[in-house]
Amino acid sequence: MTASMQPVPDSGLVERIMAGDESALAALYDRYAGMLFAMLVRILRDTGAAEEVLQDLFLQLWRGAARFDASRGSMAAWLLVIGRNRAISRLRGRESREILEDPQEFSFESLPSSGNLEDEASRMQLMGRLRAGLATLPAEQREVLELAYFEGMTQTEIAAKTGSPLGTVKSRVRAAMQTLKQYFDDETTRQPGRH
Amino acid sequence: MTKQHANPEDTDLYALGALDGGELEAFEAHVRSCSVCAQEVEAARLRVALLGLAAPAVAPPPSVKESLMRRVRAERIPEMPWTERRQEPAKPMRVRSSTWLTPAFGTAAVFFAALAALIWMKDLRDSKRIENLQAQLAVAQAQSVQIAKAAADADQLVGSPGTMRVALAQQPGGPSGGAGVLYNARMGAVMYAGVMPPAPAGKSYQLWLVPASGAPVSLGVFSVTDPNMPVSAHVPPGIVAKAFAVTLEPQGGMPQPTGPKVLVGVVS
Repeated sequence: MTASMQPVPDSGLVERIMAGDESALAALYDRYAGMLFAMLVRILRDTGAAEEVLQDLFLQLWRGAARFDASRGSMAAWLLVIGRNRAISRLRGRESREILEDPQEFSFESLPSSGNLEDEASRMQLMGRLRAGLATLPAEQREVLELAYFEGMTQTEIAAKTGSPLGTVKSRVRAAMQTLKQYFDDETTRQPGRH
Repeated sequence: MTKQHANPEDTDLYALGALDGGELEAFEAHVRSCSVCAQEVEAARLRVALLGLAAPAVAPPPSVKESLMRRVRAERIPEMPWTERRQEPAKPMRVRSSTWLTPAFGTAAVFFAALAALIWMKDLRDSKRIENLQAQLAVAQAQSVQIAKAAADADQLVGSPGTMRVALAQQPGGPSGGAGVLYNARMGAVMYAGVMPPAPAGKSYQLWLVPASGAPVSLGVFSVTDPNMPVSAHVPPGIVAKAFAVTLEPQGGMPQPTGPKVLVGVVS
């Protein structure tokens, strides 16, 4: 079997979108709609609402691709951040944080070395590792992370909901994030050939 | 004295959007002035973004993509007339007329044509003048056609998603005047109109696109100073404007701005 075909980089698809190529938008949709929709459904718990947000997200990409500088950030991360932002705003009835929506203000230098989301296999692998990493967290840490990320709760709201002191909420979030970071780092170094 | 950095717990909470109240304000104020903490925030935001991948897999129904592509096709912009690229030294801009800045302009054109017709009737017996006026009438009619087309182009630009209006303001010490630009980054289209005194002898006004990074891009030179006569230009793909400016340059324009800025407008 020959070497697997390299996917067209996101930056190339963005350039084609800027030139008005609908098929490039369709390709980006095929690449990322699955992971985005899963996140949106998890946050909104309403497939109809998730469909609307998903569609609006890609329509925004079509209209504003010129403002996305691929050299400054990851398209996948940008879509995840904006998708979550939109969903939480809808869920909580609060304003979107516009600064996060402007690709020119968005500058993730790169995804982790283990996280090339442009490639389907790598994307699936990363998803699996992330779920496994979350599963290793103590229940109370996982709870605060999920309340913050998927429910859009603030630390004060989490403290009220869980009946934990604010300091405990802070330390649990910190511990959870540290564990995940460590988990990713370990997984990355454990896999030879990845760079 | 060592600079105090933000509490790492707050960095994670901030990236999650969970920091609130006074702590949020204090954190944001600190991060704005601390590049080390700003980098930490960026790294934390990236880790947080990836948390979305932990959601149980659910595929969107095919109807979502179909609907998206229908909406995209509905928004598609037909080929625009401003497809020519600017070469160096800058070429004169194509002059177009439109109603987007002065709605009365279409009426003025009709008035012009009617006036020509009246004169033509008055001097009917003078064959030489008849020929002359007939030529004027032909010009007026041609202008009317051009006006109608330019008005349609402008309407299309105004009605297209993403089109922005940028006001160009007079600069201190420069000639009095003002102008506006319609700009659509995705279409690569710019339409300029303004009121300026005629350029001094041997000089031309030159319109520039100032990108977020890199050198200004010439959008052409122009001598038209009538707001009823907009000029259109094409922006090379991949270039996004941060601002527009008009400078006074040697006649025919320059590859890069050398003269004083007379009008400037920032894209908001």
